[in-house]
Amino acid sequence: MIKARLLNGNFISNQIIMTSTESIQIAYIDFVLTEGEQPKSVYIFAKKNAMPEDEFYRYFGSFDAVEQSIWKDLATKTITEIKIQEVWGQYSAREKALSFFYSFFELLKSNRSFAGYSLKNHARTLGSPKVLEGLREVFENFAQEILNEGIETTEISDRKFFSKRYKDALWIQFGFVLNFWINDGSAGFEKTDEAIEKGVNVTFDLFQRSPIDNLFDYGKFLAKNSGFAEKVKF
Amino acid sequence: MSENTANEQNSIPTSKVERSAKFVKTGFKIGGNYIKHYSKKLFNPELDRSELNEDNATDIYQSLSELKGSALKVAQMLSMDKNLLPQAYVDKFTQSQYNAPPLSGPLIVQTFKKYFGKNPDQIYDKFNIRSTNAASIGQVHQAELNGKKLAVKIQYPGVGDSISSDLKLIKPFAFRMLGMSEKELDIYMREVEERLLEETDYELEVRRSIEFSEACAVLNNVVFPHYYPELSSKRIITMDWLEGKHLREFLATNPSQELRNQIGQALWDFYNFQQHEMRAVHADPHPGNFMITDDGNLGAIDFGCIKVMPDDFYYPFFALTSTDLFDSKEDTIKAFRELEMILPSDTPAQVEFYYTMFKQMIGLFAKPYITDHFDFGQKAFFDELFAFGDKISKMPEFKQARGVKHFIYVNRTNFGLYNILHELKAVVKTDTYKPHVLEEV
Repeated sequence: MIKARLLNGNFISNQIIMTSTESIQIAYIDFVLTEGEQPKSVYIFAKKNAMPEDEFYRYFGSFDAVEQSIWKDLATKTITEIKIQEVWGQYSAREKALSFFYSFFELLKSNRSFAGYSLKNHARTLGSPKVLEGLREVFENFAQEILNEGIETTEISDRKFFSKRYKDALWIQFGFVLNFWINDGSAGFEKTDEAIEKGVNVTFDLFQRSPIDNLFDYGKFLAKNSGFAEKVKF
Repeated sequence: MSENTANEQNSIPTSKVERSAKFVKTGFKIGGNYIKHYSKKLFNPELDRSELNEDNATDIYQSLSELKGSALKVAQMLSMDKNLLPQAYVDKFTQSQYNAPPLSGPLIVQTFKKYFGKNPDQIYDKFNIRSTNAASIGQVHQAELNGKKLAVKIQYPGVGDSISSDLKLIKPFAFRMLGMSEKELDIYMREVEERLLEETDYELEVRRSIEFSEACAVLNNVVFPHYYPELSSKRIITMDWLEGKHLREFLATNPSQELRNQIGQALWDFYNFQQHEMRAVHADPHPGNFMITDDGNLGAIDFGCIKVMPDDFYYPFFALTSTDLFDSKEDTIKAFRELEMILPSDTPAQVEFYYTMFKQMIGLFAKPYITDHFDFGQKAFFDELFAFGDKISKMPEFKQARGVKHFIYVNRTNFGLYNILHELKAVVKTDTYKPHVLEEV
């Protein structure tokens, strides 16, 4: 192999420029979708793509890491894309979350086969699939950012203990929509759009100040003033 | 009652659970209203049903407005048929013509990306992400391109899918409200479903809008927005923004009789030209679909709902309104039979009864056609019309609906037209576009 490359100097230089995180991701997606499974070894994968094995390790530690990075990059790309939209500044936290969901699934459309493969081949252990770990980190940072904004503008109610879990609620919502989308057979994935619109709105409705807050508040008041209540006596 | 609704719930597939839960809830509430009504009646036999109707209408309306989409459309439609429904239903339903919660901004952006691959602000010079009006299956946004103000209509996702299931869900309530049998209602429901599904096809709507506005260009004082097929798709319609006032706003400015007549005439011509020259009619004459421009023209928007009138309906029906057919009882009955207003299974006594009632009804309806001018401002005509409708709705003989399915939209169109003309209090020249009659009749 080394010989072959030495015989063809051009080939070497091209290859060096070509190799990147992205080219490995593309080659990996192509491999798993054609073969239906992960390459047996990094060696086979590297050989097939005419690159030295260590070149692969320069970018990734394992195939799972490649998969994780694909998901993660999709999320990062989505966030960059939505933030440059002109309307972004006018959006409320709720709309920013909706915007992320819509754009993410729009982007994912061109990678639907890979998404299906990746989720099917990494059976869920406890919580979310391991391949989504990188994505989760990006998603949660983003979610926390817009949630903080929402709390600041009082769009979202700042509740003790619970506010910190809001991002988890959004993550669960994300997981739900992702599963829904994988199984969605409607034209243009219109059903997924509906699932997003309704689901995210409900989640944010729960984040808002609601009768439960008032009930809790009232309970607290009664507890604090129980002595007084006893004196009044009904 | 509660048993009925429980059965229904079982028969509905799981994907519809959320929607059906809404309806089931309404079912329980209506059941509750009946219980309330009858228990009150125990103590007060004089109690009439208007309080009950009012309670029912509120509950039905609430669940409908939460559902949006096709159910809302059905509410709108029922509200047009004032003669078919008790007043309390009508008052609640007319509310639905004006309110519906809007789509989120990101969903709008998403819809554009899906159909054009671009964001709205890449397509238009300006695009207002907040909608200005809600249409029953979509909403309207303002935009600007090359200095022109545009109206962009965007459809709610999944409307087409939910129409059929919504109609199935609404059926039991329609039986109860209209007191029809399932089989009979089915024919009408299918007709409604067909029209509603057509309404969700925005590509069809653009084609029709262009076709109708070109054909109607001969009419005076009627204007149409320009449509942009290249900026329209299955879920999006782009057209010129018509500057003007809605009917209610227009009336609030206290316009002169002359101006009201002009608008009324335009409206009359618009409808009768379509009915008699095109044999296909804009069948959604609710006030929100018209604008009155500052220079006194009638602007027509929304060609989503078009009713095509086949010959076997058109000729017998309009022969009744515009010839001296009524002079011959035999010929009249023949026409009624063709229109299935009198059925083959009717006894001679029934034939006689329906003959009298329908003759009276059509005689009333045709009044504006008989003279060459008609004053729609006169209250007496409408009182007579509503009183007749009210009388019929209380007759057990009319529990079962009669007449071919085409009546639904043709009635809705013409009563809608009469209603708007009445609100305008317009005097209209009614012989501008006369019905065509088959020579051999």
